[in-house]
Amino acid sequence: MYIEFSFIVIDDSELDCFVTQKFLELSTKNVTITTFQNAEYALEVIRENTVGDNPVPTIILLDLQMPFMNGFDFVEEFEKFPAELKKNYRIAVLTVLTSANNPADIHKILTYPTVNSIIEKPLTKEKLLSLLIQV
Amino acid sequence: MFSSVVSSSPAKSYYNYVINPIKLAEKVKVLYVDDEPDNLFGFKASLRSDYHIFTAETIPQALACLHDYPGISVIFCDQRMPGRTGVDFFEEIRVTYPLPVRIMLTAYTDAESIIDAINKGNIFRFVKKPWIEADIIGAIEEGNKFYLAVSMLSIKNIELQRAYDELNKFAYSVSHDIRGPLAGILGAINLANEIKDVDEMKEMLFLMKKSVKKMDAYVLSMHDYYNLQRGELKITKIDFKKLIGEFKSIYSVLSKVSGVRFDTNISQDGIFRSDYAPLRLIFNNLLSNAFKYQDRNSKNKSVEMIVEVAKSAATIYIKDTGIGILGSHIGEIFNLFFRSNSLEVGSGFGLYNVKSAIIKLNGTIEVQSILHQGTTFTITIPSI
Repeated sequence: MYIEFSFIVIDDSELDCFVTQKFLELSTKNVTITTFQNAEYALEVIRENTVGDNPVPTIILLDLQMPFMNGFDFVEEFEKFPAELKKNYRIAVLTVLTSANNPADIHKILTYPTVNSIIEKPLTKEKLLSLLIQV
Repeated sequence: MFSSVVSSSPAKSYYNYVINPIKLAEKVKVLYVDDEPDNLFGFKASLRSDYHIFTAETIPQALACLHDYPGISVIFCDQRMPGRTGVDFFEEIRVTYPLPVRIMLTAYTDAESIIDAINKGNIFRFVKKPWIEADIIGAIEEGNKFYLAVSMLSIKNIELQRAYDELNKFAYSVSHDIRGPLAGILGAINLANEIKDVDEMKEMLFLMKKSVKKMDAYVLSMHDYYNLQRGELKITKIDFKKLIGEFKSIYSVLSKVSGVRFDTNISQDGIFRSDYAPLRLIFNNLLSNAFKYQDRNSKNKSVEMIVEVAKSAATIYIKDTGIGILGSHIGEIFNLFFRSNSLEVGSGFGLYNVKSAIIKLNGTIEVQSILHQGTTFTITIPSI
């Protein structure tokens, strides 16, 4: 699969970061993949990264339930970024969906313009493909 | 510096006004309000052997009595008194003392005062004056049964609400703590088919093992949690030197590997009685946190445990030179499923279990923390 994207994976679980990263490496070619186990730190790195430095559109794969800053908080903070920074990014929520998730929360997160879709873990080729078509 | 205190006293005062089912053998407490001292005297004289009788000549006296003696289950009140009537009195205490059963004593009744007594005073029975002892005893026995049923119901309701709230939190955490790691492991298994490199495979297996261990630890602390909620205390003499010695040997390995100095200092003179199991749980959780949340870049890493047993109470200090707790988090660290840190993810059970165990032992816990310098937990536990 040849694509011109780069990826940022934000997940507090070490194993999930590893699996998602390896999966992306194996299914795509020549893409940059950065992983973060801490959403706050990821946010900082994205903020520092000016548009000129990174013209490649970036997909953020974001977990929801994380200690410290969770996925919801991350999206809220991310939405405050300047438009020229935001236009380079698309967020896809990659999480475990359960009945414990509040449907209103899930619905709300999809209303943010930067949030593209929600994907249930684990990531598969089909799910990745449909994500790339949507973006 | 921030500090937070958790003590068992709120729970204790809360249960003050409700009936303790174990103490049912105690005499039933009855309050009689009447402006004629002769009536009060006669009432008390004939019933005092079977019941704990309180009497009041005025409504303020009656209110003081209700305040001073919690657990009064039946109130008799004369309807016609100077100033305020019996109905007025019952209406007044409806909100402040809802549990005691109200019985109206009256010689003269018209329809209007009966309606008022029922609707406003929320009364249980009428007893006609002059009263017969059998009527009064019947009223007390029936009233007390009703009182017990209502009291038990309100205790059960509170317990039920608490259990329900915890279940809600539990359902929420299950997705992250059980389904989360499972989804990760499933993803890893799917990926395993694609991985050719043995070293990469080994790295992944190592991470899978960590996830499985984390889930296992979660299930174990869940077990602790249920034991604490349901178990009875097994009181024995506690030898702190022996108890801390166990921890010293358990943590000496970790202390060497992670380069954290571990000092203990125990002074115990008198006999101390408590339950080993909750004490172990408290110390184990706090020590494991003290080692876990060390500042990785710090050169002088240490954990110190001081035990002082004096005058039938033990004071335990657990000090670390770790990363500290954020001021805004310190009030929440004892809550179920709260996690303050993303470096080392815990189950969210640990400190909640510590708090439950301390409450069970009638103790208190206090925490003082300075970010990037360290945290000190101070625990006080009375000898039982």
